[in-house]
Amino acid sequence: MSLYNDPIGHWVVVTVAIALLLFVVLTATAYTVWFERVALGRIQRRPGPNRVGPFGLLQLAADGIKLAFKESFVPAETDKLLFVIAPTIAVAAAFLSWAVIPIGLWYNVQYWIADVNIGVLLIFAFSSLNVYAIVIGGYASNNKYSLLGGLRSAAQLISYEMALGLSLVPTFMIVGSLRLRDIVEYTVHWGWYNGPIPLILLTPIGFVIYLMAAVAETNRAPFDLPEAEQELIGGFLTEYSGLKFVMFYLAEYINMITVSALAALLFFGGWYLWVIPPVIAFFIKIVLFLFLYIWLRGTFPRLRYDMLMRLGWKVLLPLAIANVIVTGIVLVATQG
Amino acid sequence: MAIAIFFIAAAMAVAGAVGVVSFREPIRSVLSLVVVMLALAILFLLLSAQFVFVVQIIVYAGAVMVLFLFVIALFGPSRELARTRLRFQSWLSGLFVLALLGLIWAMLQGVQYRQPDKGVDLSVFGTVQAIAVGLFTTYLYPFELTSILLLVAAIGAIYLSRKRIDDL
Repeated sequence: MSLYNDPIGHWVVVTVAIALLLFVVLTATAYTVWFERVALGRIQRRPGPNRVGPFGLLQLAADGIKLAFKESFVPAETDKLLFVIAPTIAVAAAFLSWAVIPIGLWYNVQYWIADVNIGVLLIFAFSSLNVYAIVIGGYASNNKYSLLGGLRSAAQLISYEMALGLSLVPTFMIVGSLRLRDIVEYTVHWGWYNGPIPLILLTPIGFVIYLMAAVAETNRAPFDLPEAEQELIGGFLTEYSGLKFVMFYLAEYINMITVSALAALLFFGGWYLWVIPPVIAFFIKIVLFLFLYIWLRGTFPRLRYDMLMRLGWKVLLPLAIANVIVTGIVLVATQG
Repeated sequence: MAIAIFFIAAAMAVAGAVGVVSFREPIRSVLSLVVVMLALAILFLLLSAQFVFVVQIIVYAGAVMVLFLFVIALFGPSRELARTRLRFQSWLSGLFVLALLGLIWAMLQGVQYRQPDKGVDLSVFGTVQAIAVGLFTTYLYPFELTSILLLVAAIGAIYLSRKRIDDL
């Protein structure tokens, strides 16, 4: 593209691309919330939102307007600056991950902001900044429940970050690249079969570890200890209201979509699905993962804190390391 | 463009470093240190070291500083005690700054600005693959020895922090 090679055209293209992506991700987030409320409602045998607009589709607009007009309350004797910075970090970290996630639009047409060599590592880097939002939010709220929620969350995120990272190492070893497009386009030549393959067939254990660690990283049930309402009121969210609360909420749902998209890209061949057009295939895969998250939330009770730590350090981490070693041995044995 | 980003990142790093020593609340000092780490990461990226950039963020900003934050949050929102000065403190600090600046000046005497080495392919330099080849061929022994050193340090920390049987 000639426009892309021109220095000013390049910036125009990138800016427009970022704006479009922001719009798509925000809309997707809003309807993820709607989807969750309806699905959770059905799991609990109640209709869920169905009053505002057709099928309750405008419920989120109504909620958004309500929250925007709420009083933005700041508790007394807090660090005002840190109190405001915390939700900002959460949203920024959540959006930044989308810079490197490619979206398959059509056959051989993909949409991405940055196609970098370090690919997935960049997503880890941005999501590792998310823990600041939670700890600072908990600390700045000047409330013991908030502080406890923030500290719990920091411990939980650090514990599961390693399992999450190590669960993907076998994938990188097989593909030989961290670039998300290379991972999606990975093809095998097995006898008569020549073509793309969903990597879950090659690293099933990695996928299971990824799935569990990703739920813990996004603070979703059954790993939602940072905001366990029975013991901690609302955890780090307790003192947040109005638009600042919306920002934390937004960040949580963006992260949910991010890990769903990553699962589809890394383990299920991204936008490839038989003859179905790529953009629809990608969409279906993400929605299935989102449904899995909602299903987990509707089905499983919350883990106790010591169980959570034991699972992270004594089960998932050793399993992930063993998975890396076994994959290495098999790769050397088959490829030499 | 790169020059502008360099100066912004450098200013961020210096401002963060000043913040670390001048804030009275420990938590703000920690966050200033995070700003320094992120600014350093940007400087690495400007040198085409993508992998070092992302490792700097994941390891320093994402893990090490979170542990600092963890400890300080556990202490709660306490301010540093009122300033108690040593005698001659300002004179002494001025002296140390002068000595440090002199050292830096002496070190920079032999340095010359130069272009990047000829024949370096910037699209490969600093990528994950390039770093991996270096680590697992040329620098294999230092790399493995470092991992043993870290293991020893971790075991030592566990030994020191565990409770003795007769203390229980």
